[in-house]
Amino acid sequence: MDANKLRADFPVLQSSRAIYFDSACTSLKPRAVIDAEAAYYSELSACAGRSHHALAKRTDEKFAASRERIAKFVGAKPDELVFTKNTSEGLNLVIRSLNYSSRKKVVATPLEHHSLLLPIMEQKRRGIVNMEMLRVLPDGTIDEASLSAIDRSTALVAIHHTTNTTGMRAPLEKIVKAAHDAGAMVLIDGAQGVPHSRVDFRKLGADFLAFSGHKMCGPTGIGCLVGKKEAFEKLDTFIVGGETVETVSLNEVKWKAAPKRFEAGIQNYAGAIGLAAACDYLAKAGMENIEKHEREMAGKLISAIQSIPNSTIYGSTSAPRCALVSFNLKGVPPHQAALMADSLSKIALRSGVFCAEPGANALGFGKGAVRASLYLYNTEEEVRTFAETMQKIAKIG
Amino acid sequence: MVLCFIALPVFLVLSLFSAKYRPFAKRAIDCVFKTATLRPCDTGLDEEIKAASIAGIMKISPAAASFVNRHIEAISLVFILLMLLSVVFTAEGLYNYWAYGNCNGKQGGFCPISDITNAALKVPTTVNGIFAGNQSANVTVIEFGCYTCPYTKEAEAVVRNMISEYGNRLNYVYESFPIQEHPYSREAALAGLCANDEGKYWDYRAAVFARQEDLRANGTSVLYGIAKGLNLTQFDSCMAGGKHDVQLQKNTDECAAAGIYGTPTFFVNGKPYVGQTAIFDVQKEVKRLLGE
Repeated sequence: MDANKLRADFPVLQSSRAIYFDSACTSLKPRAVIDAEAAYYSELSACAGRSHHALAKRTDEKFAASRERIAKFVGAKPDELVFTKNTSEGLNLVIRSLNYSSRKKVVATPLEHHSLLLPIMEQKRRGIVNMEMLRVLPDGTIDEASLSAIDRSTALVAIHHTTNTTGMRAPLEKIVKAAHDAGAMVLIDGAQGVPHSRVDFRKLGADFLAFSGHKMCGPTGIGCLVGKKEAFEKLDTFIVGGETVETVSLNEVKWKAAPKRFEAGIQNYAGAIGLAAACDYLAKAGMENIEKHEREMAGKLISAIQSIPNSTIYGSTSAPRCALVSFNLKGVPPHQAALMADSLSKIALRSGVFCAEPGANALGFGKGAVRASLYLYNTEEEVRTFAETMQKIAKIG
Repeated sequence: MVLCFIALPVFLVLSLFSAKYRPFAKRAIDCVFKTATLRPCDTGLDEEIKAASIAGIMKISPAAASFVNRHIEAISLVFILLMLLSVVFTAEGLYNYWAYGNCNGKQGGFCPISDITNAALKVPTTVNGIFAGNQSANVTVIEFGCYTCPYTKEAEAVVRNMISEYGNRLNYVYESFPIQEHPYSREAALAGLCANDEGKYWDYRAAVFARQEDLRANGTSVLYGIAKGLNLTQFDSCMAGGKHDVQLQKNTDECAAAGIYGTPTFFVNGKPYVGQTAIFDVQKEVKRLLGE
């Protein structure tokens, strides 16, 4: 995979000439995805699964084919994939719809994104669940000794695949095993995992996997919740409406099976078609190649930041991570450093606590950090410019 | 937090001219309001301004950028003090302009507001004034004054000095522009013209200004009282008969049409000067034109 060649596929890179290091927030979109999404509106613009005219049938076929291609991309079957609007909706769907009558405990880590933590905290506030956190060590790794928190009272273990604060991965194999040994279900937040590594739902062994389209070169407003058929059956309804039922009378409702039961109303057909195009694009580039490229970029990023005196990198610098590094420069507040990088060299960085405030506190940057998150289109030359710019900014501290 | 206080007036002014600055002004207002009510400013505007400023300075001098970064609070406070001082000076200037017709107050001098507001003033089409000096001189000073105007009276001593000092090198013309708000201004203007008919204008004028307060309080009896050297019968006939009424009204209308609004108003070779302290600028300009 040649990042320099891939860059030509991304119109924003051609028009803005920015160094885009904010892909953990949202990724850039290749021309193929933009065209695929636009094609729905210019060639179809009908709804699927309801009407029987030719345009509707073609939309139905496209929508079904998109579901199939996306499911295949994550190693799942089409009927194991529910379209959502983003990862947050997928996580909310599981956490808020699971039956907690026999088991009330939900286990997570302080490193989770607010989109995962807040639904659990809301369920706790309503007295529906108990919440317990796995311990996080100072280097951002999960203390495996704390896996004992997952016991026979645990209904659900909800955990990240890859954190958006350090780019490090959770030890999912051990966590999934511990959860299943205890009879608990596992929900994985794949927002940062699916875009940057080969994720195979079957091999992962989890019960649910949620991810967003926009972080993996796809459109905004489309996401997926992948789940085992038997896992979906344990969920109560979430958002209900058109096409979620087999039959309705005023006294009785017969719900459809997943995924339809969870897809109320007209769906984001354009988004689904765009996301399928994004999956095709990433598959063509090769997820293994993307992973390899990101490992190299992460190494260069870490070396560049470590060469700046009085800089701090959060999380272990030796553990495997995607090309995502959160850091601080002494004497330069994170927002200022990010804004200056934009002013000086048009480098797009994120600063703050990245919607993961408990995680930021646990890692030691409760008042914020700068985050550089790269993707398949970023190059070594961009990392060099980043390093030079950060060296200059650090000197004012 | 401190930067918002500087940013607010800047963005408010810029917002008047361009809509793109209005969101910045709103954020600055929000920040200043929160700071004033002892709450943290969370608009991020301070950080944006700081980052943009330091990045800009860094392109010129990294050392200066480092200095500004380390002392940004102190530098901001200095700018706030300067801003407060400029607000005080601006208010003083506006008051001076309102009170004296010049931003600098009694001492006069360059005043952009006067220059802008007076630029539209023109010498009336016809000037039916009373002359002193040499009508062929290169420098002409035309004064539009009011005998019951305190500012015209204040200018009188300098006017007299210029007439006597420059003699034939100066063409001085006086025309009355009685201001309605000044009591007995019209009567005094007519009395001046009647005294001029008898060739006693300059003495009468001196007497009128000397008794200005009395005149403003007691009216025409004072005008008659000071007419000692005049033929009182002729003077009374001139005043009571309304000899100059039509001409004075015509002059006044022409002055108003030319944009003259206050007294004293001077024109030095056509260049206007208005107000209490205008005479000092007139004096400077005359000296300059005469090469002194």
